[in-house]
Amino acid sequence: MQIFRGNSISKGIAIGKVKIIKRHKYNISRKRINKKEIETELIKFEKHIEEVIDDIDDLIKKKEHTKESIDILDTHKMILKDPDFSNNIKNLIQSDLLSLEKAIEEHFTQVIGIFNRMNNSLFSSRSSDYRDVAERLLGHILNQKKNDDKIDDIDIVFSETINPSEVTRFFTMNVKGFCVESGSKHSHSAIIARSMNIPMLTNFPNLLNSIKNDEIVILDGNEGLFIITPDEQTLDRYKQLLQEQIHYQNELTKIVDLKTQTLDKHIIKLMSNIEIPEEIDQVKKSKSEGIGLFRTEFLFIDRDTLPEEEEQFKIYKKIAESMYPEPVIIRTIDAGGDKLSNILNPIMEINPNLGLRGIRLSFAHKALFKIQIRAILRANIGGNIKIMFPMISCVKEIRKAKAIIKQCREELVTENKEHCEYIKIGAMIEIPSAALTSDIISKECDFLSIGTNDLTQYTLAVDRDNEMVDKYYCSIHPAVIQLIKTTIKNAHDNGILVAVCGEMASTNELIPLLIGLGIDELSVSPGKLLELKQIILDLSYKKSKSLAYQILKMDTIEQIKKKLKHV
Amino acid sequence: MIKRTVKIINSLGLHARPCTMLVKTSTRFRSDFKLRKDDITVNGKSIMGVMTLAAEMGSELELIVDGVDEESLLLEILELFQSKFGEE
Repeated sequence: MQIFRGNSISKGIAIGKVKIIKRHKYNISRKRINKKEIETELIKFEKHIEEVIDDIDDLIKKKEHTKESIDILDTHKMILKDPDFSNNIKNLIQSDLLSLEKAIEEHFTQVIGIFNRMNNSLFSSRSSDYRDVAERLLGHILNQKKNDDKIDDIDIVFSETINPSEVTRFFTMNVKGFCVESGSKHSHSAIIARSMNIPMLTNFPNLLNSIKNDEIVILDGNEGLFIITPDEQTLDRYKQLLQEQIHYQNELTKIVDLKTQTLDKHIIKLMSNIEIPEEIDQVKKSKSEGIGLFRTEFLFIDRDTLPEEEEQFKIYKKIAESMYPEPVIIRTIDAGGDKLSNILNPIMEINPNLGLRGIRLSFAHKALFKIQIRAILRANIGGNIKIMFPMISCVKEIRKAKAIIKQCREELVTENKEHCEYIKIGAMIEIPSAALTSDIISKECDFLSIGTNDLTQYTLAVDRDNEMVDKYYCSIHPAVIQLIKTTIKNAHDNGILVAVCGEMASTNELIPLLIGLGIDELSVSPGKLLELKQIILDLSYKKSKSLAYQILKMDTIEQIKKKLKHV
Repeated sequence: MIKRTVKIINSLGLHARPCTMLVKTSTRFRSDFKLRKDDITVNGKSIMGVMTLAAEMGSELELIVDGVDEESLLLEILELFQSKFGEE
């Protein structure tokens, strides 16, 4: 038995067999040729290049692609047609007497090496294009399919890295879990794994050398570790835990169709937070009552061109159509300049959390903002899209944003482009100044949504990613609760609804407090939705109200914590 | 043969998209097209060549065209640089 510790980026437990997925490794057995074979080798080269280009053309025709993915496929074609590439291959075959496949491997290894040595990540990241092409071409020549079609439903995938489309594909093959050498919590792959409730672990240097295919493995996404060839006792313990997990999940599926209300029939609307369009399937499965927060910044980061209006329009429209008639709340870009640095080239800020982010960044790059607004307005043909603005600090910003919407709408009218004439507008309440003036803001809005993570950070002046002060970060500080209370009261006085879309909404023990304070809607990750529903079904609204009333009178975090524990 | 020096003025430099545009344009012509940055010279009709220059904003490139339609090729290439490859 051997235990490996890393980090969990998606929770859950899985027991299965190790399945190592190696990237770009082809078994080239024939390395050298003799002089007589040169001619056939060169003919083979031309033929395979042509076939692979045809394959790419078919791929472009077949699938629904974003503009960006077509650009990538176009680049791949260009790489295959590159005169320098074909000269180099011919040279390696003729002078060095390498086999075609060896020559190709040699060529791309060199090229990828050049890219990897570049200092500017915008350039060096393009090595991925060359790796993809090499893989495609070698796979075609050697007629070796990637070994992913032999996956069993008891497999746990171990790999250096994993990309989002692989996560989705393996999921349909019933893979139980993922373990990768490196990968961030914020990567698209991790987001998808979380919304599908599949455990994913990361941060294991040299992972693939420490394990063997088909070994029994336990993946513990709750503790961030995996165990290879566990002893009987450990295996039994985990089988028990897994049973409980499966039982719990099964129980939850029974409540999918139930209306979300407390024991005393107080109705709460449950919605989903999503970051990328691929999460929609999970949203539909959990029967969410809409998208409470679509974080659009994920469409903008990790790429070197901005998504154009058409691309954004298509994505928003697809999500709105698949959710119709349920609402889809699209939040305009909420990133600091640091996250978009490849594109916007901002000045390095000393204090980015208090800097040019959220709506401020959008105002500073008005052209970019208008493209997003226009795409949203055009996508709202069904009328179920709402716009939400992040980092609002005063009512003036809402008015300014509304003026820009008006301007965009007028442009669309002049251009005779189809769009919905009316769109609902909401503000994120995540800065104390907005919470305190929420009565004024409510008058300009159709709904409010409280972002509890930032509200806590700005109220308590604590950066929760700073280990030296993170103990001061606490969402149940009396001041934060007061601000939530104030916001809810002001919104209700003005006849609009309030949602919570921050982490508080997915912290089980805080749900009675939020509901007692009068929150109307909760929005969480799709994988968390049913768990939240179960909590609400077991709750008494009357008791929650009295709990909130008592907590509002308390002086310290400790008292509040104690009180919440005894609910 | 004509030689001309240009400065890269688009903020991202010769990243993937501008490179694609350069190659797409130059391969429509019969003349040879080379790019020189410092002491590296690459084939301007090769996507790999152009990309490996990793030319950032502000860097200077020498364009070398040679052939029957060299003038019109140079004109179109200069136009791409001047229009910042359609960015901004």
